[in-house]
Amino acid sequence: MTQPGDRNIVLSGVSLARQDRPLFAGLSLDIAELRVGLIGDNGAGKSSLLRLINGLLLPDAGAIVVHGLETKAQRASLPGKVGFIFQNPEHQIVFPTGAEELAFGLRCTGMNSKQADVAARAFLAAHDCADWADTSVGELSDGQKQHLCILAILVMMPSLVLLDEPFSSLDLPSRMKFMKMIAALPQQVIMASHDLDVFANFDRVIWIDGGKIAADGAPAQVIAAYRQRCVDSIGRAP
Amino acid sequence: MFETRDIVRISLFAALIAAMGLFPRLDIPLAGGVPITLQTLGVMLAGALLGPWRGAVSVLLFLLLVAVGAPLLAGGRGGLGVFFGPTAGYLIGWIPGAYVTGWLMQKTWPGNLFLRAYAAALVGGVLVIHAVGFCYLAWKVGMSLRQAAVADFIFVPGDILKALACAYVASIAGGDRLTRLNVPKQPS
Amino acid sequence: MIAPYLTQKTWLHRVGAGHKLLALAVISLGFTQLYDGRGLLVATLAVLAFYLVTIFGHWSRLRLYAPLVPLLIGIGALQAYASGWELAIASIARLVAMILLADLVTATTPMLKMMDALAPVLRPLRRIGVDENQVSLAVALVIRFMPVLLNEWTKRGEAWRARTGRRPPLRLLAPFVADILRLADHVAEALDSRGFSTKRSKD
Repeated sequence: MTQPGDRNIVLSGVSLARQDRPLFAGLSLDIAELRVGLIGDNGAGKSSLLRLINGLLLPDAGAIVVHGLETKAQRASLPGKVGFIFQNPEHQIVFPTGAEELAFGLRCTGMNSKQADVAARAFLAAHDCADWADTSVGELSDGQKQHLCILAILVMMPSLVLLDEPFSSLDLPSRMKFMKMIAALPQQVIMASHDLDVFANFDRVIWIDGGKIAADGAPAQVIAAYRQRCVDSIGRAP
Repeated sequence: MFETRDIVRISLFAALIAAMGLFPRLDIPLAGGVPITLQTLGVMLAGALLGPWRGAVSVLLFLLLVAVGAPLLAGGRGGLGVFFGPTAGYLIGWIPGAYVTGWLMQKTWPGNLFLRAYAAALVGGVLVIHAVGFCYLAWKVGMSLRQAAVADFIFVPGDILKALACAYVASIAGGDRLTRLNVPKQPS
Repeated sequence: MIAPYLTQKTWLHRVGAGHKLLALAVISLGFTQLYDGRGLLVATLAVLAFYLVTIFGHWSRLRLYAPLVPLLIGIGALQAYASGWELAIASIARLVAMILLADLVTATTPMLKMMDALAPVLRPLRRIGVDENQVSLAVALVIRFMPVLLNEWTKRGEAWRARTGRRPPLRLLAPFVADILRLADHVAEALDSRGFSTKRSKD
């Protein structure tokens, strides 16, 4: 079943409770597209779905297979395959300098600290960020911090990149820059966002509502349906 | 022995103790404008909120960084010099202080969070730290224990206030459902 | 802030951290064995001269120890009253000499070298399940998040001032600490997603 280039993500009958409240009940989903967007209200289950896919959360029932790896049984191999970009770069950057930040992931996959340091510096240099290697991350701007987070994930050569509302604290130029960067990635990308414009060139958009799939398909239709629902619900409000 | 989350909590509380040395002055009622370092409050909080082991390790980590030369003590002090001074006992006392605070928090569970934290911080954060502090002072400069205790007493009222502050903060932060700290042993 | 480490190189910078720590331990032992008041005073003056010559031109770092002066005077007075001048001067001299020598080690040894020198001390921790990776991660986290917390607190203080015009009260500390605990959960999640805990379970 595991073959190189396997891009399939298969959720079968997944149930998950969050804080004793059921969120997903028997959710099944197949994802094979290269660019997939997740939309929906806050608390609808976008973040939980992403965390199920990278093994941070394990399903209460059902199974999830990501690029040939079953998340429960092969959880330890997931971080090498699945990169995760969080909403707030401040939470993700755990080291005082850029080189240490990149080297950390490499050390977790088994490199010794010398090799990891060399590889991290080379990677930063290859991405025109050589001077971040010894810069204190506190001195970077928000956009630069998120950029560093993305590099710290890419250096681990994942085959799948998950992004959980990665741009909510960024200005428009940074957003545009990152969208261009993400569009150019060879990896499969699944991204949750409230900024619906970013999905224009995606292959597929999934609208999640209360733990269920409300709509699924081409970005234009799904986004239009979601917008209409939002307009309706505001119109109905007193 | 420690999960990732434990290591992060230990480190973040060590960072909190460090940051408290640099906080702009807080308005503390009753203190009457007397500048008091908040770092002991950080030590009490580490014990009260992280538990005995994690609290003590958090303080140990902070002191380790001070010893290797990080300027993290109030006023930007750091380095080995502070461990050779007459008041080094108070710093060393932070470790058992945090431990005892956390231990008492667990021993008194369940009960009123504020009162438990106040009692724990008084015993661990005031009594233990001052006891270690003035015993060391007496030994280091060759005073009698009685003389050292007299010199020590000037600082007790400020620390009793800090214990009160610790109880207040712990009763709110520790009671938070999201942080799930108000239980001695976490199931998962 | 006066950084405890002196960036300008002195000859003492070239001496290994382990040797300096060893010398410090030996000398400190020597001082506790020295009881003769006059001998102690001479030794302390020698240490002071050694200190001033070694960090020539950076004497301002002595200001770091200014808060100790009233304390030392208090201790001296109390002891002079109880056991006589000679003992008072001896114990103050001992303290001053050791503080200066310890400060010299810190002034001339970068933090990373000091951490390396401590590694053999930390190694036995392995037996209770704490490995060097965890220690170095913890150290990095403190250095990384100290300014983050300070900045976050300053922002809260500013917001409070903007609304009330007063200094931030202690009350503000409670939600701040609750947020730190939540921040810790986010950071732990980010570490796990990059394989930190799984790596340990493989070991």
